[in-house]
Amino acid sequence: MSNALLLEGVSKRYAGHVAVDDLSLAVPSGSIYGILGPNGAGKSSTLRMVMNIIIRDAGRITLLGADPERDRGVLRRVGYLPEERGLYRKMRVLDVIVFFAQLKGLDARTARTEGTAWLERMGLGAWGRAKVEALSKGMQQKVQFITTVIHRPDLLILDEPASGLDPVNQEVLRDTILSARDQGRTVLFSTHNMMQAEELCEHVCIIASGRKVLDGRLRDIRREYRGNRWRVELEERTEQAERFLSSPHGFGAFEPAGDGWEVELDDAGDPQQVMSALAGLDARVSRYQRVEPSLHQIFVQRVGDAATAERRPEVAHV
Amino acid sequence: MSSLLVVIRREFVERVRSRSFVISTLLMPLLIVGTYAVPALVGSGGGGSRRIALVDETQQRVGDAVAAALAVPRTDPEAPTYVVERVAVPFAQAHADLTRRVQDEKLDGYLVLPADVVRTGEVTYRARSVSNFAVLSDLRRAASQGVQSVRLREAGLDASRVAALTAPVSVKTARITKTGEEGGSAQSTFLMAYISAFLMYFMLIFYGMNVMRSVLEEKTNRISEVLVSSVRAGPLMMGKILGVGSVAFFQIAIWAVTVTVLAAKTSLVTRRFHLPPDALSALKLDPGVGLAMVAFFFLGFFLYAALYAALGAAMSSEQEAQQFQMFVLLPLMAPMFVFVRLASEPMGTMATVMGMIPFTAPMTNAVRMSAGPVPAMQIVMSLLTMLVSVFAVAWIAGKIYRVGILSTGKKPTLGELVRWLRAA
Repeated sequence: MSNALLLEGVSKRYAGHVAVDDLSLAVPSGSIYGILGPNGAGKSSTLRMVMNIIIRDAGRITLLGADPERDRGVLRRVGYLPEERGLYRKMRVLDVIVFFAQLKGLDARTARTEGTAWLERMGLGAWGRAKVEALSKGMQQKVQFITTVIHRPDLLILDEPASGLDPVNQEVLRDTILSARDQGRTVLFSTHNMMQAEELCEHVCIIASGRKVLDGRLRDIRREYRGNRWRVELEERTEQAERFLSSPHGFGAFEPAGDGWEVELDDAGDPQQVMSALAGLDARVSRYQRVEPSLHQIFVQRVGDAATAERRPEVAHV
Repeated sequence: MSSLLVVIRREFVERVRSRSFVISTLLMPLLIVGTYAVPALVGSGGGGSRRIALVDETQQRVGDAVAAALAVPRTDPEAPTYVVERVAVPFAQAHADLTRRVQDEKLDGYLVLPADVVRTGEVTYRARSVSNFAVLSDLRRAASQGVQSVRLREAGLDASRVAALTAPVSVKTARITKTGEEGGSAQSTFLMAYISAFLMYFMLIFYGMNVMRSVLEEKTNRISEVLVSSVRAGPLMMGKILGVGSVAFFQIAIWAVTVTVLAAKTSLVTRRFHLPPDALSALKLDPGVGLAMVAFFFLGFFLYAALYAALGAAMSSEQEAQQFQMFVLLPLMAPMFVFVRLASEPMGTMATVMGMIPFTAPMTNAVRMSAGPVPAMQIVMSLLTMLVSVFAVAWIAGKIYRVGILSTGKKPTLGELVRWLRAA
């Protein structure tokens, strides 16, 4: 599988601190890829280097087969939604969309038809001639999405796309990302919200303090980091079952957890053996399942709480 | 369409479509003509007929001559005329009655010629309004003539003969230009210098600030980063300056067409604004001078627009930018402070030096070229110096712009600015 984006040993240093430190990652074409990390981890700096907004100090970037620093034309095939985003407030909605589309190389006529179609799709069909400032914040966010995707980019780069979105627009964002993927586009986005990433991403890269903590296919990461902890839930609680669960066993002890119980099996512990024991109970088992670690747990396990660093004050980033 | 053209087009269309463009197109000429014409109108106006009582306490019957002088028919149709009512009784008796009649608006005012007026040369005018310059100067002239004629008669001279001997000489002016002798009074030359310099001054400030606002709008509304992912900072700044600049040229073109149409009806304009009949003759520019003026405006606009762009990029809000605007405004205002000096001594040291400094050259040379012929060599040198400075300033401004548009938060210190220059 080819990569839509490849970073090899990329670094960025500002006066006083290292924003991105020897970062390498590969975003497979057609995937939804999440860059995760706490605020100030270097996510935005990384994306800005990809977009050639800031110049990297070291390393190689291959964006859709080209180096964006040498071949800026490749940036036209990218749709970028920065974390700091806004629109011309005094312009008409459709004019704003056409303007950004033209900057990406669309001709005026196509931009106009596409823009009208997108407005229709987003439920803003009647607002094309209105001024941006007349729109609600949520509507403006939709217009912002349109300006990012209107030129049918091969790669979408979204920096904290969900920040400031209401639940309805988060749905819109989700649909936009998923339909882009379905059309064969690659979506790369950054977030500090692990839950959101888990929901959408196939691949993730977790960074902290500018360094990569781990990356790979989300399924593989989960498999790697899952322990041998199992969860049991019962349809009903019988005396016999309670007695079984509260007494120690050779494989470990059950601990109550929420509605059910969890047991940490030692190395010798065989999940099959536990299942057969459970099958002998007079209560019916409704759930018996390996406990999968959440991304957040994996992150905390790898980085520790120390990495939830304070965000540095935003200064001029050269 | 290239990104540069897209940026230029947006700046142009959005601005020309805006209400402020229509308003400024209408108001700017009014402002310039207004600042020139209003004092003239205030000074001259106030025509119409006035009823004035004349109390003459002199033995020599000075009042007769005064009344005669006031009754002389005027050539200017707008000048005030007078109905003079002679009062026979002494002032002490008539005083209360006259005052009451003025209060009742039966009279506009009354002039008292005291018995010793020929010696003291002092008369008193009492009226509801004593601020009309035209009326006051008419009264002064009439009273002076009355008193003078008595004095001359007492000295044994004939008043009409003296008047003929001391008749003033009027100076007619004609400006000599490259194409030969042309009409154009001192006033019309001054008017031309005034219009060209002020127009340039207003346009540079107005459109320079437009560039600054445009930069700040993109910064404060967080549009910059979306933009620089599609356009380089260089073409973005250039597009902004060219876009705003094309609006300025478009506006000037509108005015130029209007003036050309009006110039065909010169007499109408001069009568309306109380200008001498040849006041607008100097508006017909020598083509070479016109071309040089356009070049100065063009380069001046680039110079100041680049400065304003950098200012906007370095600041984070319009209020903040306003505080620092003085640094840009001062060199721009300098020629206006010494405008009279420049217009009256277009080849003086001050005018020559300011004409060579790139930041003051546009307005200074606009004044100098309107006031008289300036050696072509000086103009060419000045333009070349400006051209070089435009590139230098644009280069520096571009660096500040490049970094500035993406920096948010507090404004940079001087040290940080220097680092921006080095880094970009």
